[in-house]
Amino acid sequence: MNENLQTPLLAPSVVSPSLQSDRAGARQAAHAESTGNSLLGAVPRKEYQRLLTLLEPVTLTFGEVLFEPGDAIRHVYFPGVSLVSLLTLVDNHLALEVGLVGREGMVGIPLALGVGVSSIRALVQGAGVAMRMKSAQFLKELGQSLPLQRAVHRYTHALMAQIAQTAACNRFHVVEERLARWLLMTRDRVQSNDFPMTQEFLSHMLGVRRVGVTKAAGELQKRKLIEYSRGNISIIDQHGLEDAACSCYRAVRTLSA
Amino acid sequence: MPAPYTPKENHLLAALPAADYKRLLPKLEHLPLILGQVLYESGGEQEYVYFPTDSIVSLLYVMQNGSSAEIAVVGNEGLIGIALFMGGETTPSRAVVQSAGHAYRCRNSVLIREFERGGPLQRLLLHYTLALIAQMSQTAACNRHHTVEQQLCRWLLLSLDRLPSNELTMTQELIANMLGVRREGVTEAAGHLQAAGLIQYSRGRITVLDRAKLEARVCECYAVVKRESDRLLSGKTPIVEMIS
Repeated sequence: MNENLQTPLLAPSVVSPSLQSDRAGARQAAHAESTGNSLLGAVPRKEYQRLLTLLEPVTLTFGEVLFEPGDAIRHVYFPGVSLVSLLTLVDNHLALEVGLVGREGMVGIPLALGVGVSSIRALVQGAGVAMRMKSAQFLKELGQSLPLQRAVHRYTHALMAQIAQTAACNRFHVVEERLARWLLMTRDRVQSNDFPMTQEFLSHMLGVRRVGVTKAAGELQKRKLIEYSRGNISIIDQHGLEDAACSCYRAVRTLSA
Repeated sequence: MPAPYTPKENHLLAALPAADYKRLLPKLEHLPLILGQVLYESGGEQEYVYFPTDSIVSLLYVMQNGSSAEIAVVGNEGLIGIALFMGGETTPSRAVVQSAGHAYRCRNSVLIREFERGGPLQRLLLHYTLALIAQMSQTAACNRHHTVEQQLCRWLLLSLDRLPSNELTMTQELIANMLGVRREGVTEAAGHLQAAGLIQYSRGRITVLDRAKLEARVCECYAVVKRESDRLLSGKTPIVEMIS
């Protein structure tokens, strides 16, 4: 059964209607619908319409790398149902996820802060649609629009909170708690209880060895909180999983709400 | 005779063009920071942003159970209070003075107004934000992958870079809080470094004796953070040129 988890399933995540309806985000919902991205949704309608003409929909595939450390950022991405992990590389091979970007955010924050080169790896971990914009165009828009600036800066702040929390979480919490947190964060962003996932992938995300992931996932499965098979993970008891996760999950959810 | 202290001891303030600097100058207030002083509580509201000169401030993430871990150090290269101009109403971390000294502070409202002018000050602060993000990300990875001794080396070097001398006033307990490890772990790691002749530790004071050897022993995280920070804050980072 462990072997199953090594095979990525490339099918895009399915958005569950029931999960969509309990999403608040009321003030953004109105025009975020067309892109599914709430950062863009926070921009006033008129400017949003303008941005829309400059955005290009792309389908991100599982395992695709958008940037490696040192790469020029040619586009910024606004995920819809897709999900992108920001990984810091250590000693050139050990990876660790420091941020997770979904519909609430944007990939390419360094550009918004004035630098056109990525220092991290941006790896697609939830396939699906995202909107992207050419970097030069984005900078131009950002320079002209205070609401866009504010939305991007607010998101940067939320991302920093997430990175800070990850740093502390890595220090204090055991793999099982961190795995539970990570699964919940993923669920919140793809808005589905089922998503493709491999143990190898999880081992990179959590910065632990595969056996550690196997053991933690096995434990969560035994407690009937999740089910995994054929490279897929299903959350079957969300509340139970929340209890199994470290406090970091609720802390960060509050911050990015 | 030159003033005994000047805001230009802080690199961000020093990098401002004359006009922006002049506008900000009358709003800046010089003040001493004492060891252990809490500038911000996590989740608290802030009235001021701080620009350290010869002090160091540690940003700590505080867990629900009260344990904390350092996520970044800020000295004369930076400022404390990014959350404000980035639109967060409260700070996600606790800011504690880790090395006594001085700082300049100004009211939030002043800095936010300057920031929203969108000029060189905004550019500088955004670059600093990115340097801080790089430091935080590296710290996250370091916490995961490296030994207490390596982390202690990293922490000592990052602190030294922000101080005028090679001496730190510091208790092991404080270091343990910063690194989020037990005191015994710090005692052991510091003992190794002392036995190897890299540092000397006595009465709450750490003196670095051999910086080169400390650099040889540290994990890569130190160099990564320093390189990124130097690059971003050198004022030479080409922005649009980097986008082809």
